[in-house]
This record gives sequence, C-alpha cells and structure tokens, in this order.
Amino acid sequence: MDLHILDHRLRVTSISKTGLEQYTHPLIKLIFLRNRTRCKFFSLTETPENYTVVLDEEGFKELQPSEHLQVEGSTWLPLNVVSNGNASSSSQSVGVTKIAKSVIAPLAEQHVSVFMLSTYQTDFILVREKDLSVVVESLVEEFNIFREEGGESVPVHSQDACNGLQRNGREVPHATVHPVLIPENQFCVMSLDPDTLPAIATILIDVLFYSNSPREGASIDQDMECIKFFSFSMIDGYVSLVMDTEAQKQFPTDLLFTSSSGELWRMVRIGGQPLGFDECGIVAQISQPLADSDISAYYISTFSFDHALVPEEDIVSVTEMLQAQRMSS
Amino acid sequence: MSSGYKPDILWSPHHADRYVICDTELSLYRIGPAGSPETKAGALPLSEQTAATLLAINSDTPYMKCVAWYPKHEPECLLAVGQANGRVVLTSLGQSHNSKCKELVGKEFVPKHARQCNTLAWNPVDSNWLAAGLDKHRADFSVLIWDISSKFSPEAVPAEKVRLSGDVDSGLVVTKPLYELGQNDACLSLCWLPRDHQKLLLAGMHRNLAIFDLRNTSQKTFVNTKAIQGVTVDPHFQDRVASFFEGQVAIWDLRKFEKPVFTLTEQPKPLTKVAWCPTRMGLLATLTRDSNIIRLYDMQHTPMPFGDEVEPTIIERSVQPCSESIISSFAWHPSAQNRMVVVSPNRVMNDFTVFERISLAWSSTTALMWACGRHLYECTEDAGQGAAAAEKDIATKMRERAQSHYGHDTVQVWRNHVLAGGDDPQLRSLWYTLHFMKQYTENVEQKQQSNKQSLIYSGIKNIVKSSSGTTETRRCWSGSDRQTDVPRYHSEERSLALQLCGWISRGPDIDVEPFLKSLEQEGEWERAAAVALFNLDIRRAIQILNKGASAEKGDLNLNVVAMALSGYTDEKNSLWREMCSSLRLQLKKPYLCIMFAFLTSEPGTYDAVLYESRVAVRDRVAFACMFLNDAQLPRYIDKLTYEMKEAGNLEGILLTGLTKDGVDLMESYVDRTGDVQTASFCMLKGSPGEVLKDPRVQCWIENYRNLLDAWRFWHKRAEFDIHRSKLDPSSKPLPQVFVSCNFCGKSISYSCSAIPHQGRGFSQYGVSGSPTKSKVTSCPGCRKPLPRCALCLMNMGTPVSSCPGTGKADEKADLTRDKKLAQFNNWFTWCHNCRHGGHAGHMLSWFRDHSECPVSACTCKCMQLDTTGNLVPSDSV
Repeated sequence: MDLHILDHRLRVTSISKTGLEQYTHPLIKLIFLRNRTRCKFFSLTETPENYTVVLDEEGFKELQPSEHLQVEGSTWLPLNVVSNGNASSSSQSVGVTKIAKSVIAPLAEQHVSVFMLSTYQTDFILVREKDLSVVVESLVEEFNIFREEGGESVPVHSQDACNGLQRNGREVPHATVHPVLIPENQFCVMSLDPDTLPAIATILIDVLFYSNSPREGASIDQDMECIKFFSFSMIDGYVSLVMDTEAQKQFPTDLLFTSSSGELWRMVRIGGQPLGFDECGIVAQISQPLADSDISAYYISTFSFDHALVPEEDIVSVTEMLQAQRMSS
Repeated sequence: MSSGYKPDILWSPHHADRYVICDTELSLYRIGPAGSPETKAGALPLSEQTAATLLAINSDTPYMKCVAWYPKHEPECLLAVGQANGRVVLTSLGQSHNSKCKELVGKEFVPKHARQCNTLAWNPVDSNWLAAGLDKHRADFSVLIWDISSKFSPEAVPAEKVRLSGDVDSGLVVTKPLYELGQNDACLSLCWLPRDHQKLLLAGMHRNLAIFDLRNTSQKTFVNTKAIQGVTVDPHFQDRVASFFEGQVAIWDLRKFEKPVFTLTEQPKPLTKVAWCPTRMGLLATLTRDSNIIRLYDMQHTPMPFGDEVEPTIIERSVQPCSESIISSFAWHPSAQNRMVVVSPNRVMNDFTVFERISLAWSSTTALMWACGRHLYECTEDAGQGAAAAEKDIATKMRERAQSHYGHDTVQVWRNHVLAGGDDPQLRSLWYTLHFMKQYTENVEQKQQSNKQSLIYSGIKNIVKSSSGTTETRRCWSGSDRQTDVPRYHSEERSLALQLCGWISRGPDIDVEPFLKSLEQEGEWERAAAVALFNLDIRRAIQILNKGASAEKGDLNLNVVAMALSGYTDEKNSLWREMCSSLRLQLKKPYLCIMFAFLTSEPGTYDAVLYESRVAVRDRVAFACMFLNDAQLPRYIDKLTYEMKEAGNLEGILLTGLTKDGVDLMESYVDRTGDVQTASFCMLKGSPGEVLKDPRVQCWIENYRNLLDAWRFWHKRAEFDIHRSKLDPSSKPLPQVFVSCNFCGKSISYSCSAIPHQGRGFSQYGVSGSPTKSKVTSCPGCRKPLPRCALCLMNMGTPVSSCPGTGKADEKADLTRDKKLAQFNNWFTWCHNCRHGGHAGHMLSWFRDHSECPVSACTCKCMQLDTTGNLVPSDSV
C-alpha cells in the first residue's frame, strides 16, 4: 500500500451562519469559477452550527478575515491511501473502515490529531504539518510513503529512528467517549461532471445558501430528528456531494453520479460539545468497531463535530455497538 | 480522446473512405473525390480534390466523453460510446435495421458507481472485450473490461434501489464486468498491447503507467511517471509506446519499462492528442490546445532500444493543415500514406496529406536523385541537343576534359586548349602562355643561361620591372621613307616579353612575319593586320586585309578598311584623321578599331588601344612593350595585372606568370568557375618551392584528385598522380606496404634491391624450370621459400628482371600494356581477414566467379569483405 502526502497546504475555517452573506462572493467564485482561481482543494460543509470550509492557501486568500470567520491556527496536509490496485478485495467495505486499522489506529496511538474528509472518490486524512514527522514515523512500516511535489512523487523515508519515541503531546489515559446523535435523514454521496456544474448552479446556490429560508412541504416540520447537513467538495477537479434525500430531490437525476445500487446512508454525529482540534482518537473510537464488524463508512469532520455515514441497513447494529461501547466505559 | 464538446474524429478501421466526427452527436461522413457524380450537391469540400458527404447522424447518446470503433469487419460501424456518468453504450450509424449488430446496439454497460468514462479500447483479438477507463471512486475499480456478448446481469437489483440510477429497464443493461482493475485510482488512458492481447497498459492518476496481464490481475509491472495521458502503441513497432502529460511526450520501450527512452521537447501548451502514423514507420503527430499546427516527430532513424549515452535522432517539424483555423482534433487515414483529416472547433474539416521530407543526393556525375515518400526520382542533365542549350556545368566539362587527357600534353602545351574543347578563349590564352614560357625555358636551358629562367615563369610583370637599358628608335614606315614620329622602345626584357606574347620567336631581331603568317593561316585577318600595322608595316597590313577580303567566306568590308587605311596621313589636322578618330568607334571589330586608334593617337597616349578590353591581353601587352616608355609600361602592366586578378581572367597569367600573383589570379578564377582541373594542371608547372607549396594549390590538386576518384576515374587519377610526381617529386608518396617474410620478418622487396649481386643464387629456388624466367621465390634475407599461391600452389615471387634497382627507367619505357599486366599478375595479394592469398592474376580470375576463399575449408567470404572490389572504374585505361 502507498500513502501519498498530497501537494496541498490546507487551512480549516468556519463561517458562522450569520456572517455567510459576507462570504458568498468568494465561495461562489471558488465553486463555480474554477478558471478564476488557483484553488485546487476546496470543501464546504454546512451543518446546523456553521459552515466549515477547508481549502488550500490559494483559496484561503479569498476569505477576508472578520469576526464571522474562525480559522484553525495550523496548516494541515492531506494524506491519501492508494491501494496500488492489487489490494486483496476480500473486504467489500469501503472508506474509513478500510484504513481504520492501518492509518487511523496508529495515528491515534501516537496522539496525532486527524481531520477526516471522505468524498465520493476517496478519503483524505488531514494531519497538522508539524505532526508530519511523527506521522511518517508511525506509518512508514505499513506503507510506502510518497510526498508529491510539483507533480512528482518523491519517496519519503523516516529521518531517524530516535524520533519515534517522541510522543505527540501528553499522555491521555483513555479517550473520553463522546455522545452521539443519530438523525433520521437518509444521505446519499454523489459526484458530478465538473463541466455540468453550471447546469445545477442555481440549485446548488439555493441549497447551500438559502437552506434556512422557509420552504413549503414536509421539510418545514423541523422535528429535530433530521439535521441539516450538506457537503460540497471540489478537489483536483473532482466534485463530491453529500446531501440528504430531501435536498437530492431538487437536483436533476441524470446529472448526478451515484452508485448503481442506489445505496443510502445514515449519519452518526459525534460530540455533544464542539470537539476542538486537539483531542485525538475520536475517529479511531468509531472506525475501530466499524472495521471489526466490516461495516463501510464515510467520515466527515467539521469545525465543531465529526460525522460518520454508515449504510442504512447497518444503522441498527451500529447503534447497538456504540451503546455497548458507552456501557463499557 | 477529447474532453468537453470539441469535436473529435475517428477513421473507420476498415472503410478507408469513412470517418466519424463526434462532439455532442456522432456524424458519419464519406470522403470522395470532389466534383464526382457520387458526391452529392451537399458535399463539404475537404481539399481541392476531396469532399465529404454526410451519411448519418446519431444523437442517441448524450454526454459523450469518448468513442471507440469496433475493430472487426463485422458488424461494421459499431461504436462504443463512453459517457460522462461512466456508462458505455453500444451504438451504430448508417446501418439498416436487419444488420448483424442489431442485438448489440443499445446495449449499456453500467459501472457500480457512476463517474466519468475517460477512455475506451477494444481488444484487437478478442473483439468482444471492451476496456473502459473511468475516474476514481473510493470503493470501485477504475478499469472495467466488459464482454459485449454477455447477457444482462442475473443479479436482480432490488426495485427500491433503482430509483437513483435512472432507467434500468431492460435486459440491455450489463452491470457485471468481466474484469476489474485498478482500485482507488483514476484511469486516464489505456491501450491493449498488440504483442499479447491479454495485456493492457493503463495510465492512472497516481502518476503511474501499469501493465496488467488479465491471466493474473494481481500482478502488474508499473512505473511512476507524470506522462499518463493518451498512451498509444506504435503500430509499426509494438514495443514502442508514446504517452503524454501537459506539454511533454514520453516515448517508452516496453522491454525497458523503467523509464522513458526519451522525452520530446516540451510544448508551451498542453497536448490534446498524440497519434502514431499508421502508414509510415516511426512518425508521431502531436497537437496542442488552441493551436493551428500539428507537430511531427520522425523517429525512423532512432535506434530502438538505444543506449543512454547516445542522443536520439529525431527530426521535428510542424505542418499547418488549414491556414488560420485552430485544430480541434485530427486522425490519420488508416491506409492512405501520410494522410489525415483535421477538424476545427466549429466542425470545419480538412483533408490533408503530410508531405514527406525530400532527401536529395547528387551523384558525382551531375545526375540528381531524390526520394519522397515511397517514390524515387532521378534527374539527369539534359544532353543539350540544340546549340542554344545552356552551357554545360563545369563538372561535366571537367569530366569530359579528363576523358580527353586534358592537361597531359606536355610537349605541345598549347594543344591542351584543344583537348579542353578549344572553345574557351581564356584557356586558349592560358595554354599558349604556358607553351611560350616552356619554349623559352627550353631555349634558355640549351644556352645554359640559368639566370633568366626564373624570370620566365614569373610573368611579364616581373620581366618589365627589371627592365634596363632601353633604347628608343624612330623608324620609317616600311615601304615608305616618311619618318614616323612614333617612338619605339627596345630592350632585352621587352623582346623577351614579346616572345612570351607570341609575337616574335627567339632571336635578337624583331621579326613578326612568322607570327603574321600563322595568323593569316588561322584567318585572323584583322588581328594580323593590326600586328602588322603596329610593326609600322602599313603596306603589309593592307595586303593582309585584301587577302582576308578575298579569302573564302571573307568579309568584303575588309577591302574598304584597307582603302581607308591606305589614305593614312600624318598631317595633324587632316580630314582623314578627324574622320577616322570619330568613325572608328563605329567599327564592330576591335582590332580594326585599335588600328585607327593607333594611327590617330598622339605618340605616347595610346589609351584607346591599351584599354580596348575586347583585344586579347597578349596583343595589348605586346603593344605596350613596344610603344610605352619605361615609366608608362610598368604602370600599365600593374594596372592590367590588377584587373586580371580581380576578374580571374586566365589571360592574366601572361602577366603574373606562375607566381604568388598567379595563384591569386587563379584563386579568383576558381572562385568564379570552380575549375580545379585547369588550376591543378596549370599550377603544377609552377616552381615547386613557392607555388606548389601554397595551400590553395594543394587544395585544388587534392580536390581534383577526389573528384576523379568520385567519378571512378581511377586510372585518370593514377595518370594525374604520375604526371604530378614528375613535375613535383616531393608529392611522390613513400611506399607504405611491404611484403615481409614469414620467417625472418624482413621486407622481401627491400632485400631484393639491396643485394643485387646475390641474384645468381636465386635461380636454384625457382620452381619454374625455365632458366629464362627465373623468379625470386624465396626470401632474399633468409632464403626460406615465400608462401604458395592458393590456386596454382606455386611459391610466389616476382621475376628477377623486374626487381627494382635493375635499371628500371629504361625497362619501363618499352613495357607494353600486356607486359605490365603480366607483371601485375605475379603480385602478392591476400585477404586481410583470412590471410589466404596468391598471385594477383589468379585471385582476380577466381573471385570473378566465387565469393568464398579459394583455400578449401576456409569459409571466409573474402570478396564480400572488399567493399570497393565490386566497383568498376568508369574510365578505361
């Protein structure tokens, strides 16, 4: 297996719902006017709390600082696992589950904080730039690590063995088990030909920026069982969309790519309080048991909470599993 | 394949006249000659000769991303279309409903997870197999190989799950691929390897090219590279693959897959298409975005595989198929040589043939040969039937002159101009000059006046410079007692100069009568009359003119001139004088003109004579030597010499002689004409110390020799070398090859000449019984026998009599051609490879019929090793 450290230097930011109008111009530019910006990595996730925007430095230049913009202080680097084509296809599970044991668990053990971003195409594991040596150190045995620089893949070797002992941060006896919330909405993960983006521009703008405006129909009765969650990302020219079935109905069916089986997903939101960026092991907490039971999952971190998506049919067992985990702690 | 909606173009693999343009729809065109009855009125002109007719349009498949044409004959016109959502649809164009592909058309192949289909490729052998390269998905494979004959997938999809994937309605949808390859990566480009149809070359997003073998999909060979777009196999060289990335094309050798064998120079704009020419070896065409040129790379002469140290020889050039418009895509014609159709973004099409580079070669004998594409043309010089035909090329002239032994007449040197064709006045003058110079030298030699000799070949310029003791005389007109007021100058040097001009022969007295006679003989009446006049014999001049008028084909006007001449008066202000000086300018013949100029000039001012360029230099110089005083003469000669040198006029050799000045003059002559032959022969006669050592002279001589060799005039070249070594002994090459004895290692020829007194003892070793034909068949040094001839099995050796050192000079003189040949027959020859050999004559006759060595059990192909042995000299001895 190969692990690629991608050539993007990312910032994680959050835009408050009230301050959105100040940022609609740069966001629309980043989403729709690809040839006007050199931003190659852009992800926008709407949650009830705020908008989480992850973007590279080129894109970050577009966002004017203001009281509505919160920026996480460090630079993050995306990692990507490439199975090299010949991975054993015994496991049908996909996404975070596949890398839970090989990447997420070792990083949690080394107390490296990770920020997960799953897309239609692949899973990105974001780590802080300052943690990179620890990351390389802890993963070098499992992976061939390449760092991509200016279009070339350069093999990375761990600098010295002694660095391996240098733990990241303080020892935490055991991670706190966070409360989870399982909303009722069904989600789908989709993609789109970037060339057809203009065709759905108005719908996308409507869904992204006007979701709070009153809408006729069933969606009005906010019974708190459903939560607003919409994610759009465009990374290296690939578009990925995560939305619930209500939002999906607004899009024309023939433009969105999805799996032929039409699978649907349920969400597990992790955290009662905003999680912050320093705690580690949160992803591992969820992904480990999922991997044990071979359940596929998407995992999308946002500024405040983490979100795991699991197949609709597995939600019952996942719920039970998480309850059992709570009991044991 | 193009992305977006720029039109792309595909040739039918089997119908050489059909192609498809695909943008938002598929349009089938037939290409035909323009203006033929077959092409309908609505045909689109593609070029001056061809036009395209639209046959069918298919707009059933939206969101097309790539198209591939079914490679087999049947069913024809079956196309696979890759769509933006990853589905692959089979469709057809212009087919009747009962065609064979009916059950295939409309069939869809749907990946589990929708994403763009980037590329499609039919397996060239198992034509049921269709490989599709897709964008990446986190949980799916990027290469799906579909079997188009497979029935729809048996696993029924749960009804409620169908809602997202659109119209899965009939049995025409296949969801289970035959093979899945390349997880977690996008496939941007792929191709089947023609050498092994189970192998597939993929280019993925993660910067690698990988070769998969379908018999064992878990194994692959791969290489990291940026060049991952548009992989394509050279149809003429199945291990050669081109792939590109942005502006750069990498060429791979699949046998050495670690790194590209070379990369082509980077283009400033990203490439959109790269294609090997199917009709021409090693020709790659590339197209960049928004460009109106197609760049071609010719790798025909690039060795594959080649070492790291050599620079690949790639000839790069560009073509511009349509003058202004940007090219959206192009496609090579599958069979017509170097032909392609290009299409612009607004679907303007253009039929275009890439002109092959022309390679051109001159033969040494003026014939010209050129090759273009698969054609070879030869062009030879027109023999020039009409008299008005253009002057022959100097090379042709030199060749003809070499064949007529030009330059080799050393006795009657002037005759060389006749050998040269006799039609060049400059050569005529040159060889006469050399003739007179030689004649004089010979006379001087007889008189042992060696101090003069150096002056002769140094030309009149130097002769008149050293002039001293000039006397001035005023003679009467002969046959009249009237005193002339024309002073005439005499000195030893001046009469020498007159001799070199050919006016007088040797002797103290100045008698031009023989010269006049010879001129009369040649019919040069005007010149003879002028010479007579300049010698103050007006009566003789008139007589000559009368003679000329009455001669066969004579010019009757000469009588008139004679009459005019007879009226000469030295009265300064006479009507005669006045009329003559003005009317003479209307005379066409230069010699008549200068006669009157002379008569009407004031003494000492003869510019009208001296600068009449139509008059031969030698006559003007002779005139100057007679009538210019010591101050005027050198000035005039210097001026004239300068003019001659500037013009490269060979008549000037008379003035410069064969000196440094002469070489300068000859240099400008060679620069003007390229005639190294004349230059070589002429300068060989110059003094060895000064002139022959001049690098220019050596250069002419070497070039002439090379020219003779190139013409295969080897005998002529040998003759030239002999001629040269006679005149310039230092040019004689030292012996370079010696035959050494196998036993003592000494040169046998050296010993032979060194110890002639031992000759008596040799005969006893002679194998031949004849006492008269005694031979040296043993080493003169150690007396061991020489090797045997492989054919006659006799010991080799040469007749004693022909050994060097036995008065060869006398002997050579009476050697006939047969004798010379007989001598050569006895020479040693041997193969440099197997070292077998024998008598030259025997070997020659053996290899006339054989190519293998005459020694049994030796399989050396001696004759084939001799590259020049099969060449025949083109001159006969």
